[in-house]
Amino acid sequence: MLRRAANLSGDADISASQGDEKMDRPELLKTFQRMATEIAEKDFGHVTEEHVIADLGIDSLGMLELVGSMERELKIAVPDEQLVGIQTVRQLLDLVEKRTKVLA
Amino acid sequence: MASSDAELTLVSALSRLRRGPGRGFRFVTSKNEEHYYAYEQIEAEAHRRAAHLAALDLKKGDRLAIVVAEGDEFVMSFLGACVAGIVPVPIYPRATFKGIEGYADTVAHIARASGTRVLLTMETTKPYVEPALSKDCGLERIVLTEDVFAGPTPAFTAPSITPDDLCFLQFTSGSTNKPKGVVVTHANLVANSTAFLGPAGLDRNDDDVGVSWLPLFHDMGLIGFVLGTLICDIPVVLLPTSTFARGPRIWLETIHKHRGTITYAPNFAYALAVKRLKDRDLKELDLSCLRIAGCGAEPIHAQTMRDFAERLAPAGFDAKALLPSYGMAEATLAITFHPRGTPLVTDLVDAEAMKSGEARRVPKGTPGALELVANGVPFPDHEVKIVDVETGAELSERRVGQIIARGPSITAGYFQNPEATALGWKDGWLQTGDLGYFADGALYICGRLKDLIIIHGANFYPQDLEWAVQEIEGVRRGNVVAFSVIRDGVEQLVLAAEANSGDVERLKKLLPERIYETAGLNTAYVAVVGVGTLPKTSSGKAQRLKTKQLYEAGLLAEHGGARATESGELES
Repeated sequence: MLRRAANLSGDADISASQGDEKMDRPELLKTFQRMATEIAEKDFGHVTEEHVIADLGIDSLGMLELVGSMERELKIAVPDEQLVGIQTVRQLLDLVEKRTKVLA
Repeated sequence: MASSDAELTLVSALSRLRRGPGRGFRFVTSKNEEHYYAYEQIEAEAHRRAAHLAALDLKKGDRLAIVVAEGDEFVMSFLGACVAGIVPVPIYPRATFKGIEGYADTVAHIARASGTRVLLTMETTKPYVEPALSKDCGLERIVLTEDVFAGPTPAFTAPSITPDDLCFLQFTSGSTNKPKGVVVTHANLVANSTAFLGPAGLDRNDDDVGVSWLPLFHDMGLIGFVLGTLICDIPVVLLPTSTFARGPRIWLETIHKHRGTITYAPNFAYALAVKRLKDRDLKELDLSCLRIAGCGAEPIHAQTMRDFAERLAPAGFDAKALLPSYGMAEATLAITFHPRGTPLVTDLVDAEAMKSGEARRVPKGTPGALELVANGVPFPDHEVKIVDVETGAELSERRVGQIIARGPSITAGYFQNPEATALGWKDGWLQTGDLGYFADGALYICGRLKDLIIIHGANFYPQDLEWAVQEIEGVRRGNVVAFSVIRDGVEQLVLAAEANSGDVERLKKLLPERIYETAGLNTAYVAVVGVGTLPKTSSGKAQRLKTKQLYEAGLLAEHGGARATESGELES
């Protein structure tokens, strides 16, 4: 019978390596702007941390693609559960930053 | 494949599966690990879980809500319930962009509508479902897979399961207020699966491997790639939906890696793949193994199909693999299939004539013509007719009417909801609520009678979306309308709300935010109109179809004098 380890904290991530891709917050925002622009096919160069993601015309599918892009770029993993209730760009970047600190 | 076995059920099918190398289900997790279950392990695990579920004092016929995000845990729990004669009620397992309260409300609505007392979930999702316990919906207990299925297997005698027994209940995703649960029996499941996987459908063979990222709580993923494949013996590789969403390339990479022969996805996924694939990705893909690339769950756009075939040709993709399909949960899953392995067929028709119910063919190159994709024919022992929307009289070829369907795949109705069932079925004919016509023997879908919005293959009811925004200050209850329009082959959500001119900017921001929070959807446009502007019935109810028609004709008078034209551009 397949044994399953209960993933209680969501932080015990196996595949996330600590990024050599450490970037400061302004760079993170720029990365977000670039990826959002590509995914939504609209210019998001002006987007700030205050922006509510729903106002950007991105739906939940676009959001997940954005998260996936950031995961690949920063070599992190952001489990689905941690995306619950993320509404602003700031909240998303806070989460992404937190995940870059998670050890392999 | 004993399709003539009159006593076949999902449960008896588990013991018939031929054992052998590679004959099993492969689950890819969100961490990109693979969990493989050989068929004999699936059968054993289903029986083991059945014993544990029965020990929870659940009897044959009792419902069990299942809110489990991990693919293998979901499937094994679902099958375990079925072996014990317990009726699973799958509920989509992610709050993600919703607030926790909103999600728990949905769980409560479904629990109430299905008379479910027990809900099975996992540790990580428990916080999202727990609030449902205090919503007076009949839910008594929440149990965790980590607890229920641990420890020695209790003594258990499996009840006898017959084809007429209820197998599971299927609720439409996104339901909030009054969700309807389709009643699927084992007979329905076997009839539909053997139809769409048998000689008249995909004609399964011993070398087939299915690959899917479709949600497992939704008909195309659940029946297409789990239940149907178990009944007809097709090994599958299942990816989490959110893994696909994070990077659509994984879909095609998985087909390549596992030499997948059958896959299915809604139209948007094919369009997304075309957009995202880079030339360097194509170099690494060999899709010559793929004999069926099915498309369903939402209207199919001819240009998307052609674009996909063209883009993936260098990867060995055969355009004849594309298989337009039409179906719905009320018909278990599949109603018509385009003939497998044949080129796409489309029909070019006059847009104006279509509005008066006639599908008049026009020559290639005619400006403003509509191009529709042929969805093939019904399966043996099943019938599909086009009938007049008013009179119900059968219509001849190229006349547009409501699509109705009959046969052993058609379910009996909605669980404990005689009113909705009476509307949806007449003399055993499923009233699909879709508009279509036959031409040269093939079925074309050209519109929708019912108030339903389909985005990315998922169903949304306008009333649920309208209900979600009604509490926003400035929105007048009952005076907001949700509908969809098609722009460049893509279905998009539009809201029209009555309000005072001072509220326009605020509402144009708040309404889409609320919609995103509730349903994860993007709102393409919000028309804020003057109080009393929306067309209403004599009893004061806002009329969705008329509102949509005004909007599309550029006649919906918005505040500030701005009008939306047919192209969706604003002009003052």
